Amino acid sequence: MKVLVAVKRVVDYNVKVRAKGDGTDVDLNNVKMAINPFCEIAVEEAVRLKEAGVATEVIAVSVGAKPCQEQIRTALALGADRGIHVEAEGRLEPLVIAKLLKGVVDKEEPQLVILGKQSIDGDNNQTGQMLGALANMPQGTFASEIKVEGDKLNVIREVDGGLQTLSLSLPAIVTTDLRLNEPRYASLPNIMKAKKKQLDVYTPEDLGVSVTSHVSQLKVEPPAERKAGIKVEDVAQLVDKLKNEAKVIS
Amino acid sequence: MAAISPDILSALQACVGTERVFTDAVSFEHYGRDWTRVHTPAPLAVVLPGSAGEVQALVRLALAHKLALVPSGGRTGLSAGAVAHNGEVVVALDRLDDITDFNPVDRTVRCGAGVITAQLQAFAADQGFFYPVDFASSGSSQIGGNISTNAGGIKVIRHGMTRDWVAGLKIVTGSGELLDLNRGLVKNNAGYDLRQLVIGAEGTLGIVVEATMRLDRPPKDLAVLVLGTPDMKAVMQVLETYQGAMDLQAFEFFSELALQKVVVHQGLQRPFATPAEFYALLEFEQHSDADMEQAMALFEHCVEQGWVVDGVVSQSVAQAQSLWRLREDISETISRWTPYKNDISTTIARVPEFLAEVEAVVSASYPEFEIVWFGHIGDGNVHLNVLKPDTLPMAEFQQRCGEVSRWVFEIVQRYEGSISAEHGVGLLKKDYLHYSRSELEIQMMRQIKKVFDPQGIMNPGKIFDL
Ligand SMILES: Cc1cc2nc3c(=O)[nH]c(=O)nc-3n(C[C@H](O)[C@H](O)[C@H](O)COP(=O)(O)OP(=O)(O)OC[C@H]3O[C@@H](n4cnc5c(N)ncnc54)[C@H](O)[C@@H]3O)c2cc1C
Ligand SMILES: Cc1cc2nc3c(=O)[nH]c(=O)nc-3n(C[C@H](O)[C@H](O)[C@H](O)COP(=O)(O)OP(=O)(O)OC[C@H]3O[C@@H](n4cnc5c(N)ncnc54)[C@H](O)[C@@H]3O)c2cc1C
Repeated sequence: MKVLVAVKRVVDYNVKVRAKGDGTDVDLNNVKMAINPFCEIAVEEAVRLKEAGVATEVIAVSVGAKPCQEQIRTALALGADRGIHVEAEGRLEPLVIAKLLKGVVDKEEPQLVILGKQSIDGDNNQTGQMLGALANMPQGTFASEIKVEGDKLNVIREVDGGLQTLSLSLPAIVTTDLRLNEPRYASLPNIMKAKKKQLDVYTPEDLGVSVTSHVSQLKVEPPAERKAGIKVEDVAQLVDKLKNEAKVIS
Repeated sequence: MAAISPDILSALQACVGTERVFTDAVSFEHYGRDWTRVHTPAPLAVVLPGSAGEVQALVRLALAHKLALVPSGGRTGLSAGAVAHNGEVVVALDRLDDITDFNPVDRTVRCGAGVITAQLQAFAADQGFFYPVDFASSGSSQIGGNISTNAGGIKVIRHGMTRDWVAGLKIVTGSGELLDLNRGLVKNNAGYDLRQLVIGAEGTLGIVVEATMRLDRPPKDLAVLVLGTPDMKAVMQVLETYQGAMDLQAFEFFSELALQKVVVHQGLQRPFATPAEFYALLEFEQHSDADMEQAMALFEHCVEQGWVVDGVVSQSVAQAQSLWRLREDISETISRWTPYKNDISTTIARVPEFLAEVEAVVSASYPEFEIVWFGHIGDGNVHLNVLKPDTLPMAEFQQRCGEVSRWVFEIVQRYEGSISAEHGVGLLKKDYLHYSRSELEIQMMRQIKKVFDPQGIMNPGKIFDL
């Protein structure tokens, strides 16, 4: 079974992001970038399927500017067999990415596509679902456990207040939630091997997709600064302030 | 233990305020000891002064009533320096926690003695700067305590010890005077540098009330490697290889047993499955891709030489932090076995031989005890921890470890090393001080103490007896 995993290059989760001075965008100058954490989980799951003998080949695909080849290399170091870079510049919205991924799906015909449930920069939570619609494949989103059984894929999903188990016919789409697995570290020997793995680069034209934008970003601003706290003298004053100033108790 | 007399109680209250003097058992437990659990805290009282003036008033009171004072910082010390077990008054500096006068040109900031180390780190980060002294207890330890122990930690190979970051300090001496030492100057060759004597004095010369600390530029894009090695010798070869070619920020090591303990008890992921005897953790800045390429090339070399069996590298800040936890969580993880700790050092080049000898003695002496090795190694410092078997009574355990300590310290002496690389002497290592300091040196230390503290009221019984 061939598995395609999507990996996105995003600002490192632990970096405190800042808005550009003119408020047009997030300042990415000299900021540490990493694989989107949910994509990292997707790669791990695919590699585990390969190690379990279920998957025969794992392909990591990333859409974006040239530097996202770094994240593809990371996926290769984690155990993906080869990479595909769809080189496209600018702010790419989920629909465009889903169309480009659909192009890759048409070329590669994977039985399973694993994506993160959302990326921590755009917080869109759309790409997997849109790809499902475009490729006409069933989808199991927010997966916390997956298991291939014959030509079916069982997906356990984290839904409000409990778990839901779905059975999807293959080929299918899965988007990962946090508890699906704990990704491994990239080993140095594997990082070196990854340098020699195949990485193909496509343009949107190669995939027959035109990159058009329907949404423009008007403004980016940091959250309002938190007001400094105060020290209260005693419990009575605390209760008084909670009651009369904050009005959170009555 | 005699209860405090009403006179002294009210005199202490007059110094710091009624509600800042504690004489209850819970406060004694809390303020009367550090991380060590060997002595039973038994102070006369605990006081929390709020200014240098109040500290001076306390010292004058102590002189008048012949009271001994124990300065107390974050109480994370590992040598029973901040232990009051003899009717002393504990002076806890927690309230002197102001951070002021940040100066980006001088790259300095003024801290009350009670500022928590992590608070200074966070303050520096908010200003786009960096305070580099860091270790697992920095969330609780205080600047005053760090100065008084000359704390080291995980970035010593690149940034040195606390001493290197103290641009000035204020201390109330044992005669109640306030000294303002060095006042933030970079260059000041006008006579003796008394500041340096106060750093590492473990509160025996006076009470540090304020310090002007230096800040650095923040490190650029840190990467963390964890490498598995077949033996200690290989760890040192890896160190030599990497240090010869790169500016490392940190070079730590830990043993397989240490790793097993943190993995099980902290629920952390092993870095890789390949078995190894020892692990080295390296951290370096990535100014460009060339740095990582260099690190990879050195890794290949180390593998070819048989010094390294496997390794991982952080791909994100989160992974760097998780890898650091493998090392930083060791102390806390093993504290449930009330380990007998040795914090020893020698010059870096002699570490492999030194370690082999220590290890031979230790494993011959404790065939049935679990030994956990870890430490800063890149600066010649190893922490040897002997875990107490659950079934063995504490007293017997202490006694047996004490015997073997002597043998270990004899090796330390032969290697001209230190019996306390970074944790200080306090009460715990006092009997062994002569293994790394000559009788003459110790005698001169006593004389220096007399100059600062003529009546001997400052943390008496710590480091040496008078
Ligand atoms: C998990 C763990 C990891 C650690 N790792 C390291 C490490 O890597 N490197 C390292 O160097 N240490 C380490 N330590 C030891 C300890 O954290 C340091 O020695 C630290 O500097 C102690 O600071 P403190 O504020 O807790 O001091 P305390 O324990 O409160 O006091 C230490 C000594 O300083 C004196 N003192 C405290 N405040 C003052 C003051 N204002 N004026 C005068 N004297 C004062 C006390 O009397 C005592 O003698 C570790 C401890 C723990 C628990
Ligand atoms: C042209 C010029 C430029 C200079 N530029 C600088 C500069 O940029 N920075 C700077 O710091 N200095 C500078 N100096 C001053 C001087 O060079 C330094 O102070 C230097 O360190 C003195 O070394 P010395 O061996 O000449 O010592 P000396 O002049 O011989 O002695 C200096 C002091 O040290 C004592 N002393 C000497 N040897 C010993 C010893 N073995 N044990 C104990 N005490 C000893 C002496 O008794 C004396 O008190 C400069 C001097 C000149 C002439």
